[in-house]
Amino acid sequence: MTKNFVGESVSPEAITYLVMALMSLLSVLAVYMAIKEKDLIKAVIYSAIQSSFYAILYYLLMAPDIALVYLPVGVGLIPGVLIILISKTERVEKD
Amino acid sequence: MKPSEVITIVSLVLSIALLLTLAYVYLVPSTSVRDLAVFYLYTTYNPVEKYTAYSPEGVTAIVWDYRGLDTLFETAVFYLALIAGLALARRLFAETTVSSARAGLSTIVKTVTRLTAPMIIAVGASIGLHGHLTPGGGFQGGSTIAVAPLLIIVIFSVYYLLASGLTTNKMLALRSMGLAGIGLTAISALLVGLLKGEHAYVFQNMPKPDSLVGLPSHIGEFLISGTLWFFNLFEAMAVAAGFTMAFIVLLLVKEVSGNERRDH
Repeated sequence: MTKNFVGESVSPEAITYLVMALMSLLSVLAVYMAIKEKDLIKAVIYSAIQSSFYAILYYLLMAPDIALVYLPVGVGLIPGVLIILISKTERVEKD
Repeated sequence: MKPSEVITIVSLVLSIALLLTLAYVYLVPSTSVRDLAVFYLYTTYNPVEKYTAYSPEGVTAIVWDYRGLDTLFETAVFYLALIAGLALARRLFAETTVSSARAGLSTIVKTVTRLTAPMIIAVGASIGLHGHLTPGGGFQGGSTIAVAPLLIIVIFSVYYLLASGLTTNKMLALRSMGLAGIGLTAISALLVGLLKGEHAYVFQNMPKPDSLVGLPSHIGEFLISGTLWFFNLFEAMAVAAGFTMAFIVLLLVKEVSGNERRDH
């Protein structure tokens, strides 16, 4: 049991849930940035950031198998495919 | 960011928070475990139990032993998707010639890639081949290994990869070998049973009470969990080769269409 800033004892589960809530909020922010970004390469990078937050979430939810498959696929392979595809079209999205 | 968007996002987050607050009783998992989970956890590594899979990693045991047929069909679907992708690009990569390997990024990036690519492959092999002991498995290891050819393609150019011998035909052969290996492993216990004239099942891993044919759980002192190690090995091979082939084809299509545009 660790103590919080007012001296009450906090269970480890509560800290885990707090980190999970923080990761979820940050991933929502990354998704928003990815959708609003006009430069598609930057949008792919924001999407990869969102994937890494999700990988942390999966790890905290005690699914290390999914985290292990989410990291190479979400951060390595899908951005790779998307960047190859963007290089065949235009990099900047028009209104 | 316009004020209306800020209001939309804040109200969305607050409403979801309210919903979660009201529904948290149903979202927080209960402390009791379902009967099926108890069975899996009890039998996954239990030498005195008759239905054990001899794998301390319950997820891999479920994926490749208890529910092996599902994973076999997933692998087949992935294979068919790759075959369809190759069929779309069949004329484009067939007529490509290997040009000079002088392309790519700077020497610093290339040196770093030369150092990290073998490490990525080693980590991927570790994840894949230890899938029956630690979290991980064939697909995880294979997709980690596939990051290394992707890095080499991006940093050294695709011709470097082709000149070093990783052609699409070899990748296709490796992919097919992986799938054939998965199929053979699935019916290995059945084949042994047919040869010995005993009763055996498809996708059988360990000996069962009504079928004493099965694969060994250990080779020497090393735990291989019967079929699980072979499934992970072949799946990692198939996935790594499949992703590499897809990347080569994607980039070669670009190069060839550029040449064609120049000719016309």
